[in-house]
Amino acid sequence: MEIKLVALTKKYPGDVKKGIKDTVAVDNLSIDIKDGELLGLLGPSGCGKSTTLYMIAGLKDPTSGEIYFDDEDVTDLEAEKRGIGLVFQNYALYPHMTVYKNIAFPLTNLRVSAPKKAYKALSYKLILDVISDRERLKKATLKSEIDGKITKDNAALYIAYEYSISKYLAKKIFSLGLHDDNNKDKVDEYKTYFEKKLQEEKEKINSKQKKIDDNFVYLDENNNPLIVKRKLTKDEIDRLILDVARLVQIDEYLDRKPAELSGGQQQRVAIARALVKKPRVLLLDEPLSNLDARLRIKTREEIKRIQRETNITTIFVTHDQEEAMSICDDIVVMKDGKMMQFGAPQDVYKNPSDLFVAKFLGNPPINVFKGYIKDDAVFIGDEKIMHLDHKENYRDCYVGIRPEAFIFEHDKEYHLTLNIDSIQSTGKDTSLICSHPQFVGDQLKVVIDSDSNPVLGKKDFALKYSKVYLFDMKDEKRIEL
Amino acid sequence: MERKNNYKAWLYLAPILIFIFLFTIFPIINTFIISFLKNYNYATGANEGFTFENYGLILGITERIPGVSESKMLDFIRYALPNTLLITFVSVPISVILALVISILLNKIKVLHDLFQTIFFLPYVTNTIAVGMVFAIIFSNTGLFNNIFGLGNVNWVQEGLGSTWGKCMFVLCLYVIWTGLPFKILIFSSALHNIDQQYYDAARIDATPKWKTDLKIVLPLISPQILYITITSFITGFKEYNAIIGLFNRSYTINPNVHDLYTVVYYIYDQIQGTNGTRHLEYAAAGAVVLFVIILIFTLIQMKVAKKRVHY
Repeated sequence: MEIKLVALTKKYPGDVKKGIKDTVAVDNLSIDIKDGELLGLLGPSGCGKSTTLYMIAGLKDPTSGEIYFDDEDVTDLEAEKRGIGLVFQNYALYPHMTVYKNIAFPLTNLRVSAPKKAYKALSYKLILDVISDRERLKKATLKSEIDGKITKDNAALYIAYEYSISKYLAKKIFSLGLHDDNNKDKVDEYKTYFEKKLQEEKEKINSKQKKIDDNFVYLDENNNPLIVKRKLTKDEIDRLILDVARLVQIDEYLDRKPAELSGGQQQRVAIARALVKKPRVLLLDEPLSNLDARLRIKTREEIKRIQRETNITTIFVTHDQEEAMSICDDIVVMKDGKMMQFGAPQDVYKNPSDLFVAKFLGNPPINVFKGYIKDDAVFIGDEKIMHLDHKENYRDCYVGIRPEAFIFEHDKEYHLTLNIDSIQSTGKDTSLICSHPQFVGDQLKVVIDSDSNPVLGKKDFALKYSKVYLFDMKDEKRIEL
Repeated sequence: MERKNNYKAWLYLAPILIFIFLFTIFPIINTFIISFLKNYNYATGANEGFTFENYGLILGITERIPGVSESKMLDFIRYALPNTLLITFVSVPISVILALVISILLNKIKVLHDLFQTIFFLPYVTNTIAVGMVFAIIFSNTGLFNNIFGLGNVNWVQEGLGSTWGKCMFVLCLYVIWTGLPFKILIFSSALHNIDQQYYDAARIDATPKWKTDLKIVLPLISPQILYITITSFITGFKEYNAIIGLFNRSYTINPNVHDLYTVVYYIYDQIQGTNGTRHLEYAAAGAVVLFVIILIFTLIQMKVAKKRVHY
């Protein structure tokens, strides 16, 4: 589904008496989100990204502007009617419910328009299908063996997955004991029994003057499937939970309480709970902020995988640029409620539109110097660092140089001399902590090839021009030359 | 390292520990002992040795001794215990449920929230005896209750003047429920206040009906507080005494021989105070121990039930 935000604004009114000004959390934000896209809302804390997410979810009302899901205006639609899945920053799993019940909860509220089925007859048919191939059933059951023991619950789970049936039905089938070779001869006996039951059920339906088709769906007078507004049945809910549990790989933990799970597992449960009702859009609010570094990388790949498999439009809020860069199709960089830049992560990284975006993206961050443009060159201090194609008027500017833009080579005319204070090697490459009188910021970091052999002290570097950006001193916008 | 300065901690705790031992631990032990002594003399401490008779007498198992009927020891099993159980098992569940409903509703309103909270908490800071006396006036034959419901000239609280045990119990339970509400509401309100907004949001996103959110999410989330309140309310209910004084004291001055409104604690006090100059501390002690055992059993049952239903 496409999502369109039009001039979305959220104002928190201040208090004139106390001299508190209005706070504008989101300011005139317009974004088009394509169907099936993973969009990252990126910005420092307090930039309005979460507020934007909650407005899309319907948990916060916009002051002005509109939100469209496809062509439908949902601005005034209540949260519960928007059909969205939301993963909260702290997951908000219900602590008193098992994982299974947590995921089931949204489904128990759902009313769907679906064909009316003859459930009893259908279940007999499914049982017949399963027991007709005893070897397959045996194989599926034996797979559940742990330490030489087969438990009913575990075996039922395996049977349920093997045949895409509900756990309840699987338990019933397991209880027949047909996986046991001693009961080999009973297969036919059971077959006749359930065939008889099925026949009885069909006759019962016929006697009520009702028609069903081969899939046990009730038909109306025109032989069209009878669609009714109803709640999901226990079996249907179970099927959906098992499917989503497998998708996010938590099928082993369904009977546990959230407190008994690790952060990463809780995270998956939260995603499963959001996905199980097949939402039109999935919203993730800083989903990785509670995980440790290693798990964060693993989980973000997982989110990407799940998003690809379900192809659901997803909006992902984060303050971590690396997270957003690594998995998002598009990113929106926000500051003070305004959109600074929109585009594919690599494009935004390569072509930052202003100093803020340049500073925000990239790790280690970009190095900013005070410099100026004179004639056909860019200067920092007395040094010419970059050649320009044509002459320019004199103007002061910020020069942003990515850490990887420095070349460990000598260039006679265009170069920048830094003082190397310390050398850190990470194996893959070498970081130099340097200093320069015109540098503005915390730490001047240069990343070079690990083959180079730097020594402490003064060193002049040549620069890759594509990774050097010039910004206006006043409005900090990019200067395109 | 950890144990080095232990004596200092004990030294600092010593004053309070001495007081606790003197006025709590020692009396408890002493009560147990006295409850097993025959014909205990409260002044001299003289007694006729160990016996189970005190329990037998107050529980009506042992035959009454002729000539000491004025001690009214049978009032314990005949009035005090049934009344106490009735008050507890009628008023506590009603009071807890009512407090829950009020707290949940109170939590939902934004306008005048503080005002209502104050109103609901006011009874807590009011003296219970004073409340009892006001109740007595409200339920007197010319009182507000009769006027509002148009019941005419019914006397609710003065047993000697036309009221009955049933009417008195009705007023008593009403009183216990009402005075118990504020503290419960306070605890529940603060528990509700502490529930993370994300749970409500999550429920909303999942299109949960309001009643279902309250029943399936909110209640389990505050179940530890519900358990705490239930247990303490039961204990308070078993110890009910103030209410009788506040509501019915006058009826005793009119008819000092009617004891059908006794509660266990009232009985204990009466035995200590003595009637006609004879004090029976051993009966009072036995009554106290019986009360202790009852409270213990009910608390253990509640803890057991709670294991399954309370989620910390």
